[in-house]
Amino acid sequence: MTALPISRTTTNRMWHDAPAFTGLALFVALTAVPLLAAAMIDSRTFLDAPVWQKPLQFHLALGTYIITLAFFARFLPDGMQSRRWRVYAGVVCFCILAELVWVGAAASYATASHFNTDDVVMGTIYGFMGVFAVILTSPSLVMGISIWKNPNTGLSPALHLSVALGLILTFVLTLIAAGTMSSMPGHTIGTPVTGAAMPILGWSREVGDLRVGHFFATHALHALPIVGLIAARLFDAATARGIVGASALAYAALVILTMVQAFQGQPFLPWLG
Amino acid sequence: MTPEAMFQIANPIAMLGWIALTFAPFAPRITDTIAALIIPMLMSVAYSALILAYWSGATGGYSSLPDVMALFTDPHIALAGWVHYLAFDLFVGAWATRMARAAGINHLLVLPHLVLIFLFGPAGFLTYYAMHWAFGLRTSTKGASA
Repeated sequence: MTALPISRTTTNRMWHDAPAFTGLALFVALTAVPLLAAAMIDSRTFLDAPVWQKPLQFHLALGTYIITLAFFARFLPDGMQSRRWRVYAGVVCFCILAELVWVGAAASYATASHFNTDDVVMGTIYGFMGVFAVILTSPSLVMGISIWKNPNTGLSPALHLSVALGLILTFVLTLIAAGTMSSMPGHTIGTPVTGAAMPILGWSREVGDLRVGHFFATHALHALPIVGLIAARLFDAATARGIVGASALAYAALVILTMVQAFQGQPFLPWLG
Repeated sequence: MTPEAMFQIANPIAMLGWIALTFAPFAPRITDTIAALIIPMLMSVAYSALILAYWSGATGGYSSLPDVMALFTDPHIALAGWVHYLAFDLFVGAWATRMARAAGINHLLVLPHLVLIFLFGPAGFLTYYAMHWAFGLRTSTKGASA
């Protein structure tokens, strides 16, 4: 055994830069297997959706989020090697696992996890989970600022800006979108009749759904770097940076607009049918 | 899928593992992987799915014998319990096979214990250990006299 990995392939780098996040992402993906099996044999529904849909969505969403952070960790000045980062990453991992256990446990009882205020115990846990959700979203802000200030990322200026802005926007916009949603009695605005929903995402096709804004808010860390990647290829550095900046503003506007649309009781892109 | 249908699938899968263990000396690594990893893992996924889906609706619990008996009146929970036996008995069978191999005990001597583990798990575990210790004593006395 050698002390340091010799070949630095993508996965090796992720294990090296962010061992806790990489390991947790794999664990979250693997533990979706029994949930999938449960979904196959369990016919119960909650609010017109199969009970295991939400835990599976959470495994997919949080797994994607944490593996993305593990990938971006290479652009931090020193990865996540320091003791402070290791402790912080450990706390974030704990919060993610707690959310997944909570959502999974509520599903096994075919009851509400979020917005559950009928039951004293579940209501108390819901409050804690709000704090946990902020903690697990916070590394995107911390990483975004740290990458912003890091002059040695090896990225082109536009891509560098897009990664930093994407991470920061993920935190800011998610806090706005999810914070607003949690102050409401539920995620829908209006009363669904047929329960028609988009596949996988589960957004209502009949009434306003605040989860749309949350989705786009949280995916800023994917959307903006894609813009940065394309802009850096097609334009000179200054123009590309301008495009990334404008896209960040446009993306924030998109999130706000989807929220406004939801509050008006309108489904996302109604013409999608 | 009804619990009866799942039961009918689970039994032959476990049987595959036991057949693999029977012929373990011919392909130790493959049979170990089948009997100690793949099949117990499949059974564990099925068990977990059953518990996730049906535990909350079941009556009874773990705290008294009548509670445990009440649990097993639910077909899905009874099936989960059976899958638990299948998975862990096979796992113990694979463990005994590996222990014997490491100790240099002839596989033919392990076979009766595998049958017992297959039918009455803990009883076979006891008899295997009895034989294992007996072999250990023989080896150490031989070692002392040599």
